[in-house]
Amino acid sequence: MKLLLLGNEAIAYGALSGGLAVATAYPGTPSTEVLETIEEFKDRYTHWAANEKTAFEIAYGAALAGARALVAMKHVGLNVAADPLHSAAYTGVEGGLLVVSADDPWMYSSQNEQDTRWYGVQAYVPVLEPSSPAEAYAYAKAGLELSERVKQPVLLRSVTRVSHVRAPVEVEPPAPPKWGNFVRDVKRFTLVPAHARERRRELVEKWEKMREWAEQYMTVEDGCDKAVVVTAGVAYTYVKEALKRLGTCATVVKLGMSVPLPRKISEVVKGEAIVVEEGDPVVETQLRALGVSTRGKLDGYFPRYGELTTGKVAAGIAKALGLPYSPPAVYKSPMAPPPRPPSLCPGCPHMATFYALKVATAGLNPVWSGDIGCYSLGLNTGQQDIITHMGSSVGLGHGVAVAAKRFVVATVGDSTFYHAVLPQLVDVAAKSVPMLIVVMDNAYTAMTGGQPSPSRFLPVEKITEAFGIPTFVVDPVYVKSSIETVKKAVEVVKSGRPAVVVSRRPCTLMAVRKARRSGVRLPRYFVDVDKCVSCGICYNVLKCSAISKASGGKAYIDPALCVGCGVCAEVCPVGAIKGEGDRAKWLEVWRQA
Amino acid sequence: MAGGMETGIVIVGVGGQGVLTLARWLGEAALSAGYDVRVAEVHGLSQRGGAVEVHVRFGNEVYAPVVDEGEADVVVALEALEALRGLRYLRQGGVLVVNRRIIQPPGAWYDIGQVLDALKKSGVRHYVVPCYEEALKLGSPVYENSVMLGFVSALLSLPAPPSLDEANKKAFQRGAALLQNPLSPDQ
Repeated sequence: MKLLLLGNEAIAYGALSGGLAVATAYPGTPSTEVLETIEEFKDRYTHWAANEKTAFEIAYGAALAGARALVAMKHVGLNVAADPLHSAAYTGVEGGLLVVSADDPWMYSSQNEQDTRWYGVQAYVPVLEPSSPAEAYAYAKAGLELSERVKQPVLLRSVTRVSHVRAPVEVEPPAPPKWGNFVRDVKRFTLVPAHARERRRELVEKWEKMREWAEQYMTVEDGCDKAVVVTAGVAYTYVKEALKRLGTCATVVKLGMSVPLPRKISEVVKGEAIVVEEGDPVVETQLRALGVSTRGKLDGYFPRYGELTTGKVAAGIAKALGLPYSPPAVYKSPMAPPPRPPSLCPGCPHMATFYALKVATAGLNPVWSGDIGCYSLGLNTGQQDIITHMGSSVGLGHGVAVAAKRFVVATVGDSTFYHAVLPQLVDVAAKSVPMLIVVMDNAYTAMTGGQPSPSRFLPVEKITEAFGIPTFVVDPVYVKSSIETVKKAVEVVKSGRPAVVVSRRPCTLMAVRKARRSGVRLPRYFVDVDKCVSCGICYNVLKCSAISKASGGKAYIDPALCVGCGVCAEVCPVGAIKGEGDRAKWLEVWRQA
Repeated sequence: MAGGMETGIVIVGVGGQGVLTLARWLGEAALSAGYDVRVAEVHGLSQRGGAVEVHVRFGNEVYAPVVDEGEADVVVALEALEALRGLRYLRQGGVLVVNRRIIQPPGAWYDIGQVLDALKKSGVRHYVVPCYEEALKLGSPVYENSVMLGFVSALLSLPAPPSLDEANKKAFQRGAALLQNPLSPDQ
């Protein structure tokens, strides 16, 4: 039966039908649903790892032992796993190792636009690049089999418009998991210099063989001999639409394996190739290295940033062929739509934490060293000065604190804390760096949809206290007591030592879901407009997204958005915000979410 | 309805309104009607209270998952201000469907009348659908996307998606009935 599957679900089902036994991941948009789907199959070993490197290592070890294994992550996660990736290419694997890395062109949910395929070139790992969910299914299955056959890890490069596209996919039943049994092979698995040199020689020879495997994934659609378009992945779908829109034809060469290129491609492309690919000019660069002349991203026929669209591809092909092209007419909006940046959900505990931090550090002009996760939306209240990568909060904050001698507040979520901050904490403790580290523990990896976080079984304060760092725990919905406690932590930092605040309250979305299921009624808050003095603390400082500035600057709480956290009532200086319902009961249900 | 061989729909709204669910329902309905279909979603950061857009394309043979600007047959806005942002996707002569609801953006206050007046003056073919009010009548704002689904499905002659539960089916039927309401078109 054909199911309407998300590309990531298709990857999961493809791998399952390929005998997958071990699957690991660290959640990251747009890759998360791969493991979420496999998790449902209890006869496999699945694990949300602490970070992409540990996830990679578990799958790599399983594949060394002969099992079929998959590890999934987003493109920037592959940076974290890059060290074992390169070793995996040297040792090869005994079972199958499929490395799924999902790129995010135009950065819907990421800090950069990097192209996973370069890692294939750099690490000598072949890259399969599906163009659709149905192909993602097929390549995941074939990728595991190929990896085991050629004893080499295989990268599956997805992008947002494959991973997060739903399309009909024909699904076969899962195959039984193929587990391993470790066979000793010291010269291969111990990469000491003498062994690694041998492996390097083999790897370079193998790379040439990989060009033959790549041929199996190349298809040539003979349209006509007006032009040759070489494409890969999702770009193929835009090429098909663009040719139709232009009313022209071309020979379309589709590369299912975009790294390395099949040697045969230089025979297929006589003359010049128009190269259409999503991301960097990875195929185009390789084509030029094979002596094929190209028109693609390198010479500006297609843009070097952002996502492709049918329009962009049509414009580029038209330019390369000297055809006229005018894009479709576009309606102008009769009034400018207001900006609507992403914001913390109504009732988000991070909102209350940021408020307490702002009040408790008033006058200190802190440097807000931030991190990747929902709390990056502290940008909206001016409480994020740096956000660069997983772990930037404490890592870069340490550097800023010692170099600029400023009061640094490093804000990080619990999942990111375990992902990246543990080793940084060693550095902070070793030098007793005066900085305030705030772990916003909402018990989930919330931004990616609520995957489990290690904070559930390994409380943050146990670790920071073991490091000898004074640690304070607050519940941010109790605003006044939180502020008092944070002030104590601030005093510690002022005395020249690090301090940690653990602000603990589960993700509101998870709690609301749980409350709805168990029939718990949420309290509601509303504004007494006669009492409201239009000070704007609730909508300008706390910035709850359920509260707007109505006429005369009075606050208005949208009843459809309010989740009854009651934080606004605590911050209102004149008692103009009132609640209906049982806050204590709701907060207790929430605490256990 | 369709401008070409395929039908392109862009659904816009605010994170939390059920934009993704509405799009998935439309995709399932198109698949059950025998079409090839693509639904292009956005997840993660872009969902957090921000402007959300999801693209649905269906037809006999669909390749690209995304609708270009100026190419959508229908733009569906679950929120009126987002209709203004989504309008650029609409093809000339296409139809805009707007939920009569404002979710106030940070630091500003808009009146629904002002937005609907602007749309009326723009000359864009559009329907204003009281999905929010209908959903409240059904007991909860969570039904606003299924009311909208009913309306859009009636407009596109698509069946109800197979996965709708009873409560949402009721909302779907309310929405479908609204298309018959002579007051709705180009209000």
